[in-house]
Amino acid sequence: MSIQKLLPSWKSLLVFLAIIGPGIITSSIDNDASGITTYSVAGARYGYILLWTLVPTTVALIVIQEMVARMGVVTGKGLSDLIRENYGVRITFFMMIVLLVANFGTTIANFAGWAASMQIFGLSKYIMVPLGAFVIWLLVTRGSYRVVEIVLLGACLLYFGYVFSGFMAAPEWSRVLKSTLIPKVKMEPEFIMLTIAIIGTTITPWMQFYLQSSIAEKGIKKENYRFSKIDVIVGCLITNIIAFFIIVTCATTLFPNGIRINEAQEAALALKPFAGQHASVLFAVSLANASILGAIIVPLATSYYICEAMGWEAGVNKSFKEAPQFMWIYTALIVISAFLVLAPGAPLVLLMILSSLLNGILLPFVLIFVISLVNNRKIMGEYANTKGHNYISWGTVVVLITLSAALLVIHIIKL
Amino acid sequence: MPLFGELFVSEILKKSVLDPKGEDLGRVKDFIVIKGDPLPRVSALILEKKKVYYRLGWDYIGIFNKRIISSRIHALKIQPYEISEDALLVVRDIFDKQIVDANGAKVVRVNDVKLDGMNNSACLTAVDVGMRGILRRLGVERRGENFYRIFGKTLPHSLIHWNYIQPLEPKLTTISLTVPRQMVSALHPADIADIVSKVSHEEGVAFFKGLDPNVAAEAIHELEPDAQKTIIQSLDKGFASDIVERMHPDKAADLLGELPPEEAKELLESIKKDEAQDIQELLGHEEDTAGGLMTNEFIAYAPNLKVGDAIEKFKMDAHDIEIVYYIYVIDENEKLLGVTSLRDMLLSSPDVTLAEIIEKKLKTVTPDTDQDTVAEIISKYNLLAIPVVDTAGALLGIVTIDDIIDILLPPLSKKKRRRV
Repeated sequence: MSIQKLLPSWKSLLVFLAIIGPGIITSSIDNDASGITTYSVAGARYGYILLWTLVPTTVALIVIQEMVARMGVVTGKGLSDLIRENYGVRITFFMMIVLLVANFGTTIANFAGWAASMQIFGLSKYIMVPLGAFVIWLLVTRGSYRVVEIVLLGACLLYFGYVFSGFMAAPEWSRVLKSTLIPKVKMEPEFIMLTIAIIGTTITPWMQFYLQSSIAEKGIKKENYRFSKIDVIVGCLITNIIAFFIIVTCATTLFPNGIRINEAQEAALALKPFAGQHASVLFAVSLANASILGAIIVPLATSYYICEAMGWEAGVNKSFKEAPQFMWIYTALIVISAFLVLAPGAPLVLLMILSSLLNGILLPFVLIFVISLVNNRKIMGEYANTKGHNYISWGTVVVLITLSAALLVIHIIKL
Repeated sequence: MPLFGELFVSEILKKSVLDPKGEDLGRVKDFIVIKGDPLPRVSALILEKKKVYYRLGWDYIGIFNKRIISSRIHALKIQPYEISEDALLVVRDIFDKQIVDANGAKVVRVNDVKLDGMNNSACLTAVDVGMRGILRRLGVERRGENFYRIFGKTLPHSLIHWNYIQPLEPKLTTISLTVPRQMVSALHPADIADIVSKVSHEEGVAFFKGLDPNVAAEAIHELEPDAQKTIIQSLDKGFASDIVERMHPDKAADLLGELPPEEAKELLESIKKDEAQDIQELLGHEEDTAGGLMTNEFIAYAPNLKVGDAIEKFKMDAHDIEIVYYIYVIDENEKLLGVTSLRDMLLSSPDVTLAEIIEKKLKTVTPDTDQDTVAEIISKYNLLAIPVVDTAGALLGIVTIDDIIDILLPPLSKKKRRRV
């Protein structure tokens, strides 16, 4: 479809502007603390070599998110609603339990990222983590929805910090381009693991739930679905462009100097001598921003899906009495995660690995549910997948399931 | 009489049904429900054996309880059955769906369905929407009870009687549900808006279609402008104009302002002339000015009217008007002369004229006054409404404190679907 056909007039442009958002916000938040860590480590360890993996990842992300977005527009319901209504309470219940535990790990990772980035600025984590947790909690329990939305949109813009630090690192663009377009594989366990980790951190179960709900809530009409599609595609591209610049930054500065890192905050510190003070600060600020954004959205989204699926009252600025389950899940996720990040000797690494394990187990189920729901004509009508569509989506799903199975095996061997 | 007492559908799902010889007919898969008086009842069981479905009519059931279900016909005589889309099935169509609890004015999800034995049949008496229902479906109700006991609490029974349930999707209307329709119409409009804001767009529209137009008119302006627009656009033209006609002109103008001009025009043409005219006048003003906020429904009398006559007239006029606490006095050119409060009018002697009791030094605004300024004046002078006049001093309309509160507290006043 040509752009002209998509945007025939000013009016369409206005409609488009009203509809965009869910896709872009969801994809931005996808680059949370664990995503940034993965990309930084990948860049520092293998230089530009892994850049090409972002291309198939983007394609896979677009294929999956497009189906989820289509379901949101057509049914006006969230993914957990649809799963509950079509597959019953038992499977939904267990799925929600796994999602809760997995997202608990993700929340911890985000608080850990927040603590680390604050330490770069010399701020004690014992003050900043409780403060961050409290502000996040207050924002949702006491704040109005409008405030939450403005905070989120503003925070999404801050991601472009990574683009700037990428340019400050002054990479050799011809080599960057070559590595992006020409796949190169190294048969080393670490290389394979990082490849899978990049895909795993980009396509997560929770964001499918999040995307579909936020599209359903926008009440986008079927006639305007094409705009939603653009929103999703643009969002997926942005996510991976940010990822691209993170890898480029670390690959340009750290890789040639043989600096190996394990954490995103190490990258921020290590950048200073090579890319300058500003690049280092930008990198750290962006990490802080991504972490806190993840720490807001992941617990909030988790509480929403669980309550939606179970039929419990849910909502921002409800009291503990009105929506007890919602408020308790949300509060517990934040308080326990913040506490564990501060507690000396807490098994953080183990919890985060467990979380990525559970996400790996959950993803195939979520994808299979998505694909069978999107093929259900009773739900989707004429918007169900066509045959050609199904070849692409099943292909993507099979590849993703194989990769997450491989990741599981690797984790289990490591444990 | 096969069923005595009560049981929950989830307790007998997947149970084997035996024929008189003790042979297995299949496992309970679902229940076909038909209309009954006063409650819907089970007309047949759907059994599943080796991936084939069978229908077992209620009349052929011998024993029916939590432990044993037996049929009176033999395994050989039962015919395979194709599940039809038209039939209403408990598990397929009611389980896990969202419904409206008309008594509690909220949207809930069906976790389980309760059956009661009544006059030889099994009636659907209630739905379980609580934790207990979820645990029962998971097969751990007893363990759940024990867990609650550790904390010294009991697991609550959250049942909603079938009479208080309103299905969200038209599908369920094959079952007679006359009571809840009335109950839903009796809900507070803000509660109705709350319900609509919690379900998908199509369900919201279906729900709106079932409302009395007067109630719908009250409920619709409690919704966010976007949602108002989608609902009006999805309803059929006749019902949409019925609703717009019954809305207060200022609310109707706000709604029409959201619609594309052609659609707004079409709606305006299909409603009563004088109502349409009122709305038309309001449409011309900017949204965030006094003109955009004002309503042209108010009480205004001539200065020479006697208080006694004015009170009689008031009794006739006040029915359809939102704010009746101020009585404005205007001359033949509609120029605003003054105002009196309802209290002052009632407490004055019936023989004096309105001109004698009115307050002449009154605060007014013009149609292009900014909404924040209007709010400031209303707040500063503790008014319930403020008149809007043109440059010649003619009374155009009034801005009420309700409209101002909606501006000062927008997140609370409008029910929008939550967004994460």
